[in-house]
Amino acid sequence: MNLEKVISGFFIILALTLNFGFFYGDPTILEQHNRYELFAAIIVNLIATIYKLGDKTQLGAVLLATSLVADIQLIGAASIWALGEYVTGLNTETITAIISFSGGALLANIISVVLFTGDVLKSKR
Amino acid sequence: MQNNSLFLIIKRMRTPMYVLVVTFSISILGMVLIPGQTPDGQTYHLTFFDAFYFVSYMATTIGFGESPYAFTYPQKLWVGFCIYLTVIGWFYAIGAIITLVQDKVLAAQIALAQFQRKVRKMEDPFIIFVGYNSLTRRIIDHLAKDGIRSVVIEKNDEKIKELSLQDYTIEVPALSGDIRNPEVFKIAGIHKANCRAVVSLFNDDVMNLHVALSAKLMNKHVTVVVEATQEEYGQNLKTIGADIVENPFKIVAKRIYLSLTSPSLLMIEQWLYGDPLVLRKKDRLPREGKYIVCGYGRMGQALEVGLKRAGIDYIFIEASPEKAAKARRGEKVIVGDADDKKILLKADIQEASCIIAATKDDLLNLSIIMAAKRINPDIYTVARENHLADSVVFKAAKIDRVIMLETLMINKTYNVLARPLADRFIRLISYRGESWGEKTVKLLKEKINNNPDTREMKVDEESAYAVAMMMKEKEGVKVPYEVLQRRRDDWRKHNPLMILYIRRGEEEILLPDATEVMIEMGDEVLFAGTKEAFEDAEYIMQNLYELHYAFYGEEYEISWKHRLGVA
Repeated sequence: MNLEKVISGFFIILALTLNFGFFYGDPTILEQHNRYELFAAIIVNLIATIYKLGDKTQLGAVLLATSLVADIQLIGAASIWALGEYVTGLNTETITAIISFSGGALLANIISVVLFTGDVLKSKR
Repeated sequence: MQNNSLFLIIKRMRTPMYVLVVTFSISILGMVLIPGQTPDGQTYHLTFFDAFYFVSYMATTIGFGESPYAFTYPQKLWVGFCIYLTVIGWFYAIGAIITLVQDKVLAAQIALAQFQRKVRKMEDPFIIFVGYNSLTRRIIDHLAKDGIRSVVIEKNDEKIKELSLQDYTIEVPALSGDIRNPEVFKIAGIHKANCRAVVSLFNDDVMNLHVALSAKLMNKHVTVVVEATQEEYGQNLKTIGADIVENPFKIVAKRIYLSLTSPSLLMIEQWLYGDPLVLRKKDRLPREGKYIVCGYGRMGQALEVGLKRAGIDYIFIEASPEKAAKARRGEKVIVGDADDKKILLKADIQEASCIIAATKDDLLNLSIIMAAKRINPDIYTVARENHLADSVVFKAAKIDRVIMLETLMINKTYNVLARPLADRFIRLISYRGESWGEKTVKLLKEKINNNPDTREMKVDEESAYAVAMMMKEKEGVKVPYEVLQRRRDDWRKHNPLMILYIRRGEEEILLPDATEVMIEMGDEVLFAGTKEAFEDAEYIMQNLYELHYAFYGEEYEISWKHRLGVA
């Protein structure tokens, strides 16, 4: 067992599950989406991104790219939320935008997990 | 390879980034969870945005105060904890960045990346110099004035700093690296098509051999110029394919031989190396009498060959018995210190006509000369000067002839790299004999002046556009070289211009008759003349109107019909 793999796997999969937890629910009703879960998703995603930094392999590069996409999408969702709450007001349009942004991040996270497990399966040891 | 510096930064910054993310997230979460109170007593929670905003300015120690409302005591307790947590995290990150900037590994990586970019961008032909010392510094300087670019590989970082302080007219990129690593040559651009030559002028023959070998293996098309002071290394270098092997001692021996047998050839040679076309009185070595050579090392042995061929009677003084034992049977070698009066007397200094101090110790050479002069004031003195830095002392010592090995190597290497035709010409004339030399010197002085310039040109479609056009348009028209000598204001008169040497593929023509030899594409020509004459010749070669005038003696007229394409 490789401790490095346990930690990186933990963060990559936790980023996906938290992201999914926030995304799940009616996209028009904000009450069905927990703000603490979005916060946790952003933090775990950031940690997962730093984990992937500095890996010079081809796979490492793609993993980093997916992570950066997820970060941008989630931070985008949080920014829209703040904008909606303080500037424009929260209407259905902003709420769906927040959820669909997190949905995009979810896709990137799924790709990330698929690549990660694929790499693990491929290795012989 | 090129992104190494970036990866280094990212890798080192990982831990500080973790610390920042974790401390920020803990602080923000706490600020959101702990309830606060509005001024009218109602309980509220900071939103994530409020908390993020507050923590951001708290952690960076900007501190805009408590927002949106003054904090309650539970909040203040948490903030007190957060201040230490985040501020320490933030300072740690900044500290890590500063250490990284000062990091030597990173600095080396950045310097390497810059060097690679410079070499990649270089489009003109360039020359790789291995080792930066007083020798290569001067050569690079000469080449830079001619617009030839150089790249330096040097092991010692101090010397690279020295190089960066020199203000060359063109930038000289320097790479810090050991040439024993073949990767270094690759980075210096040996594989590039415009890499013309690799130059290695170490005092150490083994090092030069190493450079030549790896350079030739990496790119067999590149010209390799190396110094070899010992015969066996010279042979080795030639077998592995080094194109030009320079032995400064051989040049010295040849010059001594020339000045004894054919001074005008020596005069031509020195002129092509950049000296004026005169032979000073003190350049003439005495032909009669005995020579005393002090030092039987590499230079002494080379001198032996030169003196023997010239039929001069000589005797050696050598301090080390082992070196003296190397002498062939029948050679006269006295073992002893050459600056010792007794030893000098033993070598019959009173009768000798010339003394050559040829040891590798500059101070010893000077003291030999002083001692010899004291006994025999009329003796002709020759001294070997090893280091450029000693030239002031040597000048003050009033020695008839100083042999400066470094200057010799500088001029020779410069000629090989920048003026290959002149270098070849020198080699060709050395067997021509004194009468040929005298005739040539007379011709140069009569036709041009006392100190002509030289110019090398390659005749091709670009440099001789007009000639190429004329030969293409009219079948069978041949332009003799003599046309280039004609003046542009009056074609019947001639400019002071001489053709010394033409290389036409394998064929080599020495001092051609300009009226008979025709210009051919691909010729490489060595001219002697004045700068104005070169300019005229270049005009004639390139401009169709000038060529027509110089060739036929009339203006080139194209009819209007022809020009409009009606004809």
